[in-house]
Amino acid sequence: MSSAPIVSANTSAKRWPWPAAGTAILIAFFFAMVSPSDAVQGNLVRIMYVHVPAAWLAYLAFSVTLFGSIGYLVSKRLTWDRLAASSAEVGVYFTGLTLALGMIWGKPTWGVWWTWDARLTLTAIMFFVYLGYLAVRRMTSDPVARATRSAVLGIVGVVQLPLVHFSVVWWRTLHQPPSIVRPDGPQIDDPLMLAALLVSVVAFTVVYAALVSKRVELARLDEAVADRERTADVPVAGEAVTAPNLGGAS
Amino acid sequence: MTASMWSQTRAVTERDLLRERRRGEVFWITIPFGAIALVMFPLAIGIDAVLLERIGPGVFWVIVMLFGILVSVRQAATETTAQRDALNLLGLEPAAGFAGRSLAAAILLLIFEIVLGVIVIVLYDLPATGLGWLIVMFPLVAIGLAMLGSIASGVVATGHSGAGLVPFLVAPLSVPLLLSATQALEGLRLGRPMLSWIVLMVIIVLVLAVLGTLTARPLQESR
Repeated sequence: MSSAPIVSANTSAKRWPWPAAGTAILIAFFFAMVSPSDAVQGNLVRIMYVHVPAAWLAYLAFSVTLFGSIGYLVSKRLTWDRLAASSAEVGVYFTGLTLALGMIWGKPTWGVWWTWDARLTLTAIMFFVYLGYLAVRRMTSDPVARATRSAVLGIVGVVQLPLVHFSVVWWRTLHQPPSIVRPDGPQIDDPLMLAALLVSVVAFTVVYAALVSKRVELARLDEAVADRERTADVPVAGEAVTAPNLGGAS
Repeated sequence: MTASMWSQTRAVTERDLLRERRRGEVFWITIPFGAIALVMFPLAIGIDAVLLERIGPGVFWVIVMLFGILVSVRQAATETTAQRDALNLLGLEPAAGFAGRSLAAAILLLIFEIVLGVIVIVLYDLPATGLGWLIVMFPLVAIGLAMLGSIASGVVATGHSGAGLVPFLVAPLSVPLLLSATQALEGLRLGRPMLSWIVLMVIIVLVLAVLGTLTARPLQESR
């Protein structure tokens, strides 16, 4: 049995996530605060600096899950599975955040916490699809079976992404259509607001990278611990029992 | 698909249909259950003939999706690990297994749709127009839902304890099919173009067929 430590010494490569994420968030916070308030929505518009990046990260996270899943099925290397699962976990968190912030914004703007808008409903459905992905991962402790089964779901689940994205185009929705990625250019007139939004998108992407990097590392450690427990020297059943001393018997 | 694949697919389909003939789960449990749901809706929302005619097609598709999941995932609960192992030892191609199970479930789902379709037309007083389009839509939804059920059953594949998870996986994944079907039927009712929705359904079915076939072997090996 190997006695090498499971957790290796901290290296600069492993320490980067938190300072980088913290710095990025501070810069984004600064831009969000100095950007002007909206003529109609007032300060409520600042929710956009978290809501839009969170929605973007949901797309990014589930796309990474797709590539990780394909990568695993092709190469059978668990590294890809860890990446797919970690990204899905972070993606579910950001999808939940997107929904929550959308509801907080919707109450004062639309007058209701929830409306049966195509974008909202499909985002909620996407949230449930990836909750299912995480549920499948908890069904078995065998890393290979878990990786294969969740990889299939990681590929099938991605069908939701274009549906969510194009829902504002295919249906007449209450949710506004894309305001940045458009054929005719961004629809945000104020350059400072646009800059603040882009900075927050970049900052949140750094946060995503940090969270996924840490989660991948945690998954690797989890597997190493499970592996060590499986191969550890444990007492064999009946080991404590010794043969009876029969005295003079030969 | 080779001749061997065809014969294996047909054998699996016949096995599942024979099992249904013996047990009658779809005919004697799921179809009456769906019919009861169609009867309960007007009782729950009020007997307003205009409203019922308006929501009838949507109610029909929601019931088809939710109750159809029960049909499409039957195999997760009925096929035991020993049976799967026996099929593997007999040399069943995983893709043929996927195709056979999906085909059997699609046939049963199609019957389910037709019976409930007749009931909803009668009870909700819906105009029976556009039957030609329905002949295209019904099999597409049945095949799509059946393949989703087969994939999800393969993903879970842990016998009775995991069978409960399958509907949770299939329900949200079937939303693109549900949307296409409801929008196409709505287009038919209002005389709007609906071809794009049919094309979307065809694309979904093709994508599921490719994914199901490609992932059948890894899923089988993971058991």
